[in-house]
Amino acid sequence: MSDGRSTEIVSPTLDRRSFLKTTGAVVAGASLGDMLLARQAPAQTKGTSLRILVWSHFVPAYDVWFDKFTKEWGEKNGVKVRVDHIPHLELPARYAAEFAAGAGHDLIYFVGQILTGQYYRNLVDLSDVAEGLGKKYGGWLDASKSAAQVGGAWYGVPDFFISIPVLWRKDLFASVGLGEPKTWDDLRKAAGLLKGKGHPTGMQFSHCNDANHNWRALMYCYGVKETDPSGQNITIDSKEMREALKMGKALYDDGMTPEVFSWDDASDNRFLASGVASWIHDAISAFHSTRITNPKVFEQTFVVPEVAGPGGRWNVGEPNVWAVWKFSKNIAGAKEFIQHVADNQKEAMEASLGYNMPFMKDQYKKPMPYLGKDAKLGALQDQEKITAFLGFPGPMTPAAQEVVTTFIVPDMFTKVARGAPIEDTMKWGVGEIRRIYAKHKAS
Amino acid sequence: MSWWRTPTARRYFFGYTLLAPAVLYVGLLVGLPFLFSLYLAMSDASVGSPVARFVGIENFVSALENAVFYTAVRNTLIFTFGAGILKGLLGTTLAFLLLQPFKGRKIVRALIVIPFTLPIAVSVLGWKWMFDSQFSVLNWALSRMGLIGGYGSPDWPVWLGEPGLALLSVMFVNVWRGFPFSAIVLLAGLTSVPPEIIEAAKVDGASFLTRFRKVIVPMIAPILFIGSAFDTVFTLSDLSIVYLLTNGGPDGATEILPTLAYNTGIRGGALGRGAAISLFLFPLLLPAIILLLRTLRRKQY
Repeated sequence: MSDGRSTEIVSPTLDRRSFLKTTGAVVAGASLGDMLLARQAPAQTKGTSLRILVWSHFVPAYDVWFDKFTKEWGEKNGVKVRVDHIPHLELPARYAAEFAAGAGHDLIYFVGQILTGQYYRNLVDLSDVAEGLGKKYGGWLDASKSAAQVGGAWYGVPDFFISIPVLWRKDLFASVGLGEPKTWDDLRKAAGLLKGKGHPTGMQFSHCNDANHNWRALMYCYGVKETDPSGQNITIDSKEMREALKMGKALYDDGMTPEVFSWDDASDNRFLASGVASWIHDAISAFHSTRITNPKVFEQTFVVPEVAGPGGRWNVGEPNVWAVWKFSKNIAGAKEFIQHVADNQKEAMEASLGYNMPFMKDQYKKPMPYLGKDAKLGALQDQEKITAFLGFPGPMTPAAQEVVTTFIVPDMFTKVARGAPIEDTMKWGVGEIRRIYAKHKAS
Repeated sequence: MSWWRTPTARRYFFGYTLLAPAVLYVGLLVGLPFLFSLYLAMSDASVGSPVARFVGIENFVSALENAVFYTAVRNTLIFTFGAGILKGLLGTTLAFLLLQPFKGRKIVRALIVIPFTLPIAVSVLGWKWMFDSQFSVLNWALSRMGLIGGYGSPDWPVWLGEPGLALLSVMFVNVWRGFPFSAIVLLAGLTSVPPEIIEAAKVDGASFLTRFRKVIVPMIAPILFIGSAFDTVFTLSDLSIVYLLTNGGPDGATEILPTLAYNTGIRGGALGRGAAISLFLFPLLLPAIILLLRTLRRKQY
């Protein structure tokens, strides 16, 4: 008969659970050291599943390799892996949907828009993974922190960055008595001479990713600093920015045709492959695709890591960063997989035909995979010394990302190229950037 | 006997029960998202911040301080009403053509709705190729016909690069996609007009235009207004065509409120400001819909 009070019932099942918990912990503790040495996924990931969201890589062969690589890792470690590839432009909407739902992929990937700063409160602190990898591979490049750290903690682990060098036609340059371009002035001169011969150049003056990268490369080479190193204070309103805008207009007037106002990210690839372009400023996927579509043009296409301006030589890379939601159902598996990918960076570089540039210093030992074997791409083995990311020299903060996604910088170059006075354009552009930074500071 | 047991009460109860699913549907799928977007617009919500602070009308003020916003409003109005008028004209013409008896009319009627039924991403990507600055099939055809010069010549149109042409191009794709729908809606209306009324008007000596204006339009007014209302809503909130063709470029030439809201709110992560920009569609849309519905009520026979 009950007296109305709750009665604690000691269940034999509970005892068994306690026993299993205790013994499990002892076994796990004993084997941890061995597992760390053997770089095997811990037993706790066995029988789990891991959903990975990545973009559709610009080198399709890489995706084929990645899917196979992932499958093999899953089979070896008893993890059921599912990889979803979606176009990079669709990733931000997917992140927003997954965050709102509190469910989705266990391991996600930032590319195009680096939203580490936006989502860090909801991402797993991956400092243990990043610092472990840094120690193992000679340390991270300084630029890595810009894309993956918030407040000194790693909320993302950089995977690779995409380099965006100059691809130039040796035969066409030679036809006007020019050799390998070293400076932006060289590029301007070449384009000016070759445009009249039916070989203009082109950089996107439109609302696409490449427009954001390419014009910033020119800006940084002209000494423009978008913000101070803290990323909090805008420093773009400078003499250097005015000079960069002037150079942008000169490049357009001398060497381009109006079609650049309509270009998307792939237009310059086609422009090169068609045999029309004298030079373009694009990732080496354009180089590789020309190899297939127009071997004659490919033969004459060479690569310069970046040309110099009065402020030095800066190439604007596109980082690719792993991140793990806090609501991920397999955080341990996700961490293991990130480390596994980093440990196989050489294989990844080969599979991507040298497209994936590593983030850790030891991975730049020459000869680098693929790049070290290709005479034309060999110069990219020093790319880490000149790489900066969007928002330079500040980190890729949410404010910096909003400036990127609203295409303010490409629009400034477009206005000036179309004849708007530089001062009016500066007033407009700097005003827009200030407004965005002020909103982010206030929130 | 209490009122609740009367036949009137039962009739009311039965009526409201039948109405309930529709009210629930509108409430859940339209009302709640609208209230949520209002909440977002009045907060400093970002895509990654679960806790948002109430900021009042700050986001609306911020939108009004943004120079691009005014360009987007102007373009949105041109895009919506320009495309709407063209769809109306082309749709009416097509509907009258399809009304005429000819061999294979059923097949043609089925074929013309293809642009409307194709997945928008597929059809827009097709147009992207047709508007390509270098490989545009339109340009190559015009060039072969001798109407324009060759690639690289000054009169080679850069459809998505010149501000006026770019806005015209995105409008054109919207019209191409939407006017078969307008035609089908009108066709449904036209076929519902009793032929004897048209014949009577003919006997009275009414010309085609008089018959159209004085007989047909008043009779199909409800269908016309509902079609127009739907079309205005769809066009005003259409993100896909502009996003896929130009993403609002070059230099804001095709920027419309949906692309500005998406790039600010989702890609840029500033959900609050993105929601505020998208809510500016509401005051644009509301008077248009009220006007249409009021006119519709007055025109009903």
